[in-house]
Amino acid sequence: MTVIPKKSIPFRLNMVSRRTEALFHLILGLFALACIIPFIFVIIISFSSEDSIRQIGYSFVPNAWSLAAYNQVFNLGDALWRSYFNSFLITIVGTLASVTMCVLYAYPLYRKDYKYRGFFSFLSFFTMIFGGGLIPTYIVCKNLLGMSNNYAALIVPMLVSPFNIIIMRTFFQTSVPFDLIEAATIDGSGEYTTLTRIILPIVKPGIATVALLTALAYWNEWFLCLLYVTKRELYPLQYLLMEMQRNAEFLARNSSMIGASGASAIQALPSQTMRMAVVVFIVLPIACAYPFFQRYVVAGLTIGSVKG
Amino acid sequence: MKKFLALILAAVMLLSLVPAMADSPVEITMLLEGNNVTDDAAVLEKLNAYLTEKIGVTLKPTWGTWGNFDQLAQDAVNTGSDEYDILFTCSWTANEYASYAKKGAYVRLDDPADNLLADYGAELKTVLPELLFEGAMTEGPDGEKGIYAVPGFKDFATMNTWDINVTLLEKYGYTLDDVKNAGFYGWGDIFAKVKAGEEADGKVFYPFIFEGAVAERFVDGTPIVTGDANSLLSYYMNTEDVSVPGAYGNVIFNKYATPEFEKFARQMREYYLAGYIDPAIAIGETATDAWRNAQNTANYLISSEVSLYGYEYTTSEARGIQVAYLMTTDAPYIDNTSVQGAMMAISANSAHPVEAMKFLNLLNTDPYVMTLLNYGVEGIHYTLNAEGEVEFNADARATYSPWTNGLGNVTLLPPQKGQGADFQKRFAEFYAGSKKLPIYGFTFDSKPVETEIAAVTNIKEAYALSLFTGAVDVDTALPELLSKLENAGMQKIVDEANRQLKAFLGE
Amino acid sequence: MTVKGNVSRPGIQLRSRSGSKTFWLTTMMLPATVWLLLIRYLPMFGIVMSFLDYKLPTRKVPFPMNLLQSPWVGLKNFQFLFTGESLTMIRNTIGYNALWIVLGLLISVTFAIMMSELSRKFLAKTYQTMMFFPYFLSWVVVSYFLFAFLDPTNGMIVRAQKAASATAVDWYNTPGYWPYILTICSIWKNTGYSTVLYLSAITGIDRSQYEAAAVDGATKWQQTLHVTLPHLKPMIIILLIMNVGKIFNADFGLFWSVPMNSAPLYPVTQVVDTYVYRAYTSTGNVGMSTAAGFLQNLVGFICIMAANGIVRKLDADSSLF
Repeated sequence: MTVIPKKSIPFRLNMVSRRTEALFHLILGLFALACIIPFIFVIIISFSSEDSIRQIGYSFVPNAWSLAAYNQVFNLGDALWRSYFNSFLITIVGTLASVTMCVLYAYPLYRKDYKYRGFFSFLSFFTMIFGGGLIPTYIVCKNLLGMSNNYAALIVPMLVSPFNIIIMRTFFQTSVPFDLIEAATIDGSGEYTTLTRIILPIVKPGIATVALLTALAYWNEWFLCLLYVTKRELYPLQYLLMEMQRNAEFLARNSSMIGASGASAIQALPSQTMRMAVVVFIVLPIACAYPFFQRYVVAGLTIGSVKG
Repeated sequence: MKKFLALILAAVMLLSLVPAMADSPVEITMLLEGNNVTDDAAVLEKLNAYLTEKIGVTLKPTWGTWGNFDQLAQDAVNTGSDEYDILFTCSWTANEYASYAKKGAYVRLDDPADNLLADYGAELKTVLPELLFEGAMTEGPDGEKGIYAVPGFKDFATMNTWDINVTLLEKYGYTLDDVKNAGFYGWGDIFAKVKAGEEADGKVFYPFIFEGAVAERFVDGTPIVTGDANSLLSYYMNTEDVSVPGAYGNVIFNKYATPEFEKFARQMREYYLAGYIDPAIAIGETATDAWRNAQNTANYLISSEVSLYGYEYTTSEARGIQVAYLMTTDAPYIDNTSVQGAMMAISANSAHPVEAMKFLNLLNTDPYVMTLLNYGVEGIHYTLNAEGEVEFNADARATYSPWTNGLGNVTLLPPQKGQGADFQKRFAEFYAGSKKLPIYGFTFDSKPVETEIAAVTNIKEAYALSLFTGAVDVDTALPELLSKLENAGMQKIVDEANRQLKAFLGE
Repeated sequence: MTVKGNVSRPGIQLRSRSGSKTFWLTTMMLPATVWLLLIRYLPMFGIVMSFLDYKLPTRKVPFPMNLLQSPWVGLKNFQFLFTGESLTMIRNTIGYNALWIVLGLLISVTFAIMMSELSRKFLAKTYQTMMFFPYFLSWVVVSYFLFAFLDPTNGMIVRAQKAASATAVDWYNTPGYWPYILTICSIWKNTGYSTVLYLSAITGIDRSQYEAAAVDGATKWQQTLHVTLPHLKPMIIILLIMNVGKIFNADFGLFWSVPMNSAPLYPVTQVVDTYVYRAYTSTGNVGMSTAAGFLQNLVGFICIMAANGIVRKLDADSSLF
């Protein structure tokens, strides 16, 4: 296994020319900047004063700065920390369970010598295309399986993603040469042992990738909460934000029907700046967690482990 | 010996009563709309103690918010869930009253075979005005008309008003009468003068900022035709006296095909091109924010409001200017929308319809229950001042803010600070002067033309707001809209509506 | 670890070993299979709602018995999807998706390859982290950002235009620009996600293959063509096929929130999901919305099967199944 030293290599061994690399940096850098700027914009709005928004709208340079939005968020008090806790719990438990199920399902799918490979492939894949729809799924989950106002309702409906299974299977296909399996079998290793001791270390980038995508999906999820949970103690942070958003949108759409009594309701809604502050709260943890996943994902160490 | 036997007999009789008294109270669940409640423990404790004693019931409310009520209500109704015994319903929520009563989602309260209203809700008939029950009559799944929900007693007439910034108006030498006499088609000069004056220091000023969706109704005098959720149909009121038919009589039109509409759209376009209208009110997502912002910062001359009695006091104080509301009709008019603005229905899947009815009866007649549920516990959430007005404790109120209009009989509530001790009396008097529309009670059943409506809605959405706010050229947009509507079957919808109206009035 | 049998009697061991292998591998499939059956397959009976005039369940006729009592209406619930106006939304949905599948593929793969070739790994990681931020922002937030530029009164671009020439483009009322704006938004949001997948695949490529090619005199470009791309092929094809399966689905937030639900833009922003939403809120007909979902699924299914079939003919290993 060759190791590329951290500092740049004294003479450029099989790398693109410096000029090309500079061009790459330019393109990627600009795009990356474009990806970050709207988020910086969100941060700026969250520190703008409400008056500034009313007078000149959303702007990179508000008339006045203010910490009011963050005060309002912290005033949520227990509700804020409680939903942070819920988000973390759901994401961590959900990701662990989901990735485990995904790897376990994808591995036999990759094994060309597995008798039922085709059947199970189709079984999971078909559900990507066809679904029963919202109401039947809702009935099965809520009435049949008892997922109502509990954590299960926020974790279980997302546990298996055929998309992730296919991605994982592809990772198996491209990184694990089949002779490895044969070698292990000849050595007398059982299926589970082969999987855990030999295969998993090789597909770490794949697992990390799927884990990242799963974690993101759980962290961003709010619709399950809308459907199945009415107890505020279980609300994840993303749902708190969505609730504020949806309240405002509904009042906006129906204001003439609700009449003047709705006007005071609009007044009482959390302000735009506060909603932006909540967005910052939501993005920060996952942005910080991202480098943790990255260690396994980006090319940094050579993996080539199978020789002969 | 006799005494001893008598004692035993008495003891046995008493003992036989115990199981009856020890019957645990029935729990009633309720799904409500528009609330901001995070802590209801104190309220429920007191409330349930009272309810248990009075009617053997405890209440478990689900405080739905504006953003989640529709989803929860629809899911409950579509899946036949018995999770909620009582559901809020009205003319504008997803579980819309008339159509879902027709689908059989709600218990018929005046069912001749099992008349819950008569048996357990007798007091309601004495406390709530008869016209509310008239407005609650709607067709059920068997085609018979009946009452399928308890109507909420609140402001039951619609006041379409122009919200006038009187302070700004008078600054340029105009009076309220000038605005009234000029009328919508004559405001051009006033707008021009005020706009020029306010823009003297360089910043942009739009004098005319309103809710686009209602503008045409205010100008042309077309109320919402109940059942027409998409603003496709127009019925022309007689704005001089809303209780008699207007110039066209009791006929329903394609809203966009009439000469009145074209006249309105052209005038609006003129105002838009002259810069009197904020373009942001023409864009779907920004429309309401722009409109409300302008009002709250007093950055307008004329705005719109579907108002209610006494609202000018609240807004004048909040905005720091003098606000006046100019009604577009001679009196507030009673239509199904306002009467069906807040109702409580008993779910057809409820296991306890009798207890639910008992609770609704108590809610709408007992001031103690009403005040407790709406305002909270005296001493914790509010205090009563010398005039008997309610003063809220801001912190506690922030954790317990139900939407009062959607929660029963608001006339039972004590007045709030600033309304004056006799507020409820004045409120009742004011609305006693409102008039019923000739088509009051009519609900358009859109089911026979469902497919056409789905197609037509998408077409109309593409043009309506722009035409209402003058953001698009009338000569190109209006003919386009009309021909597309024709091709999508608009006439069929109009014909069906008129057929139903004739049948309704013929009765 | 027990050794089942010994090698000198292959026939019996292979059978028993293959039997036990199948058994053990099948146990691995169990958890997800149970989940799929309960949460995906069981609710599929609901598809029948597309063909019914759905009657609400009541105490006397609870779910699912109410389905039996709901009259069969055949294809009536699908009619609203095929009116004169709906041609626009069909064209928009499929057109945008087709364009974005191709564009997204080209851009993501290119970026992934670029990033893998950077010598400063720290910068590569930074770019990648930054590229992921769009995924966290909902379309509503993006719409505010765009509005800050295009607001008819205060927007930054509008003000610049007015300063330069007294007339500014009326952005939210002019459809012509929006296909470009929406394309930029879509690429912006989704590139990070796909790039990660491709980059991970590149990670798994054995470095020595590049060195061997370099020794053979291949330029960087040739190495990319002959080493990187072939290794990426499975991932590219799989993602391509899956995206083709979603060709009749649209990202609701993108087409509703970003154009601020502005009516004059409907000719270029109306897609099947917004169309169904607008129709559903006006009728409340459960059968119609189910029918729309079913049609989307059906179209996706046909497209995937076709794409998969083509791929299987060309390269059996790369097909989905």
